[in-house]
Amino acid sequence: MIPAPAIHAAALVPLALPALGSLAVLLAEAYLSKRASEARLSSMSAGIAIFFLSLSFIVAAQHFVTGAQIVFDPASPMIRIDPFSSFAICLIGGASILACLLSIAYLMELHINHAEYYALILLATSGMMLMVAAVDLITVFLGLELMSIPIYVLAGFERRDLRSNESALKYLLIGSFASAILLYGMALIYGVTGQTDFAGIRAGLDATNPLALVGLGLITIGFAFKVSAVPFHQWTPDVYEGAPTVVTAYMSVTVKTTAFLALMRFVVEALGPAASTANLSGLFWGLAAITMIVGNLMGVIQVNVKRMLAYSSIAHAGYLLIGFATATPEAYTAVLFYLVVYVFMTLGAFSVMVALAHRGKDCDRFEEFAGLARSRPGLAALMTLFMIALAGIPPTGGFYAKFALFGAAVKAGNVGLTILAVLTSLVSVYYYLRLPVVMYMREAGTEAPRADTSLGELVVLATCAVAIVFLGLLPNSPELSAIRVFDWARTSVAMLF
Amino acid sequence: MTASHLLSVVTFLPLAGGLAVLLLDEVLGLLSLSRLSEGVWRWMTLALTALTFALSLGLWTGFDATRIGFQFVERAPWLPDYGVSYFVGIDGVSLLLLVMTTFLMPLVILSSWKDIQRGVRTYLFFMLALETGMLGAFVSLNLFQFYVFWEVMLIPMYFIIGIWGGPRRIYAAVKFFLYTMSGSLLMLVALLVVYYLHFQQFGALNLDLVQGPGSAAPALFDTVIPVAGQAVWWKTQTWLFVAFALAFAVKVPLFPFHTWLPDAHVEAPTAGSVVLASVLLKMGTYGFIRLALPLFPFAAVEFAPVIFALSLMGILYAALVAMVQADMKKLVAYSSVAHLGFVMMGMFAFNIEGVEGSVLQMVNHGFSTGALFLLVGMIYERRHTRLIKDFGGIAKPMPVYAALFGVVAMSSIGLPMLNGFVGEFLILLGTYHVAPWVAVAGSFGVVLAAAYMLWMLRRVMFGPVDNPENRGLIDLGLREKFVMVAVLLPIFWVGIYPDFFLRRLDASVTEVLRRVETANARTTAPGGHEAADPNVTAAGHLALPVALELGPAR
Repeated sequence: MIPAPAIHAAALVPLALPALGSLAVLLAEAYLSKRASEARLSSMSAGIAIFFLSLSFIVAAQHFVTGAQIVFDPASPMIRIDPFSSFAICLIGGASILACLLSIAYLMELHINHAEYYALILLATSGMMLMVAAVDLITVFLGLELMSIPIYVLAGFERRDLRSNESALKYLLIGSFASAILLYGMALIYGVTGQTDFAGIRAGLDATNPLALVGLGLITIGFAFKVSAVPFHQWTPDVYEGAPTVVTAYMSVTVKTTAFLALMRFVVEALGPAASTANLSGLFWGLAAITMIVGNLMGVIQVNVKRMLAYSSIAHAGYLLIGFATATPEAYTAVLFYLVVYVFMTLGAFSVMVALAHRGKDCDRFEEFAGLARSRPGLAALMTLFMIALAGIPPTGGFYAKFALFGAAVKAGNVGLTILAVLTSLVSVYYYLRLPVVMYMREAGTEAPRADTSLGELVVLATCAVAIVFLGLLPNSPELSAIRVFDWARTSVAMLF
Repeated sequence: MTASHLLSVVTFLPLAGGLAVLLLDEVLGLLSLSRLSEGVWRWMTLALTALTFALSLGLWTGFDATRIGFQFVERAPWLPDYGVSYFVGIDGVSLLLLVMTTFLMPLVILSSWKDIQRGVRTYLFFMLALETGMLGAFVSLNLFQFYVFWEVMLIPMYFIIGIWGGPRRIYAAVKFFLYTMSGSLLMLVALLVVYYLHFQQFGALNLDLVQGPGSAAPALFDTVIPVAGQAVWWKTQTWLFVAFALAFAVKVPLFPFHTWLPDAHVEAPTAGSVVLASVLLKMGTYGFIRLALPLFPFAAVEFAPVIFALSLMGILYAALVAMVQADMKKLVAYSSVAHLGFVMMGMFAFNIEGVEGSVLQMVNHGFSTGALFLLVGMIYERRHTRLIKDFGGIAKPMPVYAALFGVVAMSSIGLPMLNGFVGEFLILLGTYHVAPWVAVAGSFGVVLAAAYMLWMLRRVMFGPVDNPENRGLIDLGLREKFVMVAVLLPIFWVGIYPDFFLRRLDASVTEVLRRVETANARTTAPGGHEAADPNVTAAGHLALPVALELGPAR
């Protein structure tokens, strides 16, 4: 008789729900494609997707509030639901819900209204949740692949557009390359320690072993590809520009968040003290410095808004890497908070672009925004708010995130990097301000922008705007609000140490 | 509304009122009723700013000139884990600047009645938001809160210049924004270092400048910031002072960080220029006296010669450049740089005459230069040109205008009986006590000011009416006369009876100077940098490179 393994299936629930949802969408599409119109089917799939994602969000939130710690199989821990993963799953789930809401009208506008879109989003989300809940190298890789492959397809979703095809192919090639490098690094670590789970690696890692150093370096490079750190960022502008705007919005927000969180878990849990022996902080210091410099400088010369936002996300990755270079609990807390704010800021900026998509194509050049303050004052004001938040100007959440991050860096003595961050932030202000300049201070072109906004877009815009302002004014006030994101971030990070 | 919350009400009334009117407008639009007309918006904005002024008079009368420390203090926890609280209060310096701001805002709104014709609602909303931002910066006693208001001010000003400005407005607006932000970002790093030093010394995170009600933790001003050679380079007073000073020097503007000013002033609409000159420039000087001097007193004294040199250059160079300007507005802009050179000179003399003169001159400059910009705007509205060569003999068709212009020009030069004289005299007196040659050189600035002002006056106002277009000019209307008379009131009042204003400065300025002196005594005393008895007050002469003196108490 084979003894039943003592597994806790509850650990899988938040991860499995989006996967189940994708199956539901695929089945619905298969059965109903003859009977329902494409638009109907797509809306229904969106509904199913949002339903399953919300369930996953609620389950994860419940786990976070109770502080639950569930390991899938205590004998060989591969997945663990603890406050860190619950927080991460809620963040990713929330971002995905907003992305789905955003997509409904956009897909119709661009005539790519296929239900598979939602199945792919759900699968990718499931992979992301797996990646952040993973405490084993193999599971991390599994999550990475499950996340990446649907997104490769999503990047090429606009299959009649050459740029979209180019974007998908580029992402596939470079992403596979990155996954291979990551896997080889993992293999080397396995070679040194004989373990793939984080606890085992922590116990068995000899950081002076050159093989281990190479392995760690390769793993860092693999993650650096995913978060678009320089010089592994070359794919980002092309992929972001070519993919449909909602896919770009989804990718830029969730993939970066997932990769950073998984990296954080790996560095803190699996490496622990070995990280300082291997001088990973120095590596991150260098990565952060050049990422900030290149990301911000390149953003200045862009003429396409999507490309500009791509470089902006590269720059933000640079700021986040400062947290990794500092490597104290405060720094990681600040990184988590920054990621939350980053999700809302970037998603908001892309939502405005999505809301302006008109006549079957995107609104992604600066000239198309000219005079928007006259024709769509609300959208112009919202875009200005998001640009101000991305630039890190008070009283938005973007400022507080930078304040907390730079504060943690200064406290640990990383003042040089902070000064560099501050100077490159100044450069970024220039290109963030270009959009308000064009919207408010230039006369409108000949084409009139889209006049209506769908409900989904309105909900996403409102959510992001309210979140940005709220996180800027009351990021953590115990008397004034029950939403204390900073405290939650701190609890999550404490789990890792 | 109890007196205890008066300060918060005064600060936030403009923005809250603006949001309320905006909300009302949107609701009316949603209900498909007719929206508020532009006229209604203008009157409501005027009423809001006038009400704010009336309430600030309550602050003025309720202010006790004999008490040391901040009054009308309000403190509420905001982010207690990080030492950030909502903490407001005023002392003599901020009181003067606050009342000057609330006094000028209704006049600014009145002046733009005919000037701004498109996007009026947005413009007025930005003006109200700007007023709250400026007032907030003046009353903030928590460093985080101060920084937030400092940055928030930039956004409405940027839009006001960029949307309603002149031909090169976008260039000017972006230059203004980036220049100011570069300083502020360096200040942010220094702020974080001070934050961390405080944490190191007292074990708690606190960004309150002084101890407020409801907090027992030692405040930021109590932090002992090491002097050079005693700590890591970035933790020393010198570098931290430089970082803060850069942020403020851009705003003052101190030579050579002044190059954004001529562009921003010339391209901004009239009302924008007035606000920029009268209030935003004072932010820099206010920042020095509120933050840089108390936090880094030793470094401030160390840098006094540098500041003297730069202010002197500002005074003389800017005056010479002003003389060759062809555009009246640019001439006034450069005269601002010159005047604020005086302010900085007085402040770094570190005696009571110098610093009080400096603060008074801040207020004077607000009124005089604000009035000058208003006048230039009035003639621009009529002729759509500001070039001096297009005018000549304006006194004939517009005698009231010429008379007012003459009085304001005299005030800017520093004629006795008008406000400019009192400020400049005190500053030069204070500077003469510590650095006589600097004062002598500075007084040449007064001569140069007279030169360029009187020359401009002659070319524009007097002589024959050469240009036929100037013959039919209409003199000032009732609204314009009201605005100018209102601005002339404080110009004469400060000139004839300055003690009314100086009285309220005594306690605050003495306190700032005391702090600077005790810190310097501690640092240069034999044995170097040890924690001294904080109750020691420095009186009489001290062994310092720059001799400090306290004048007789008034």
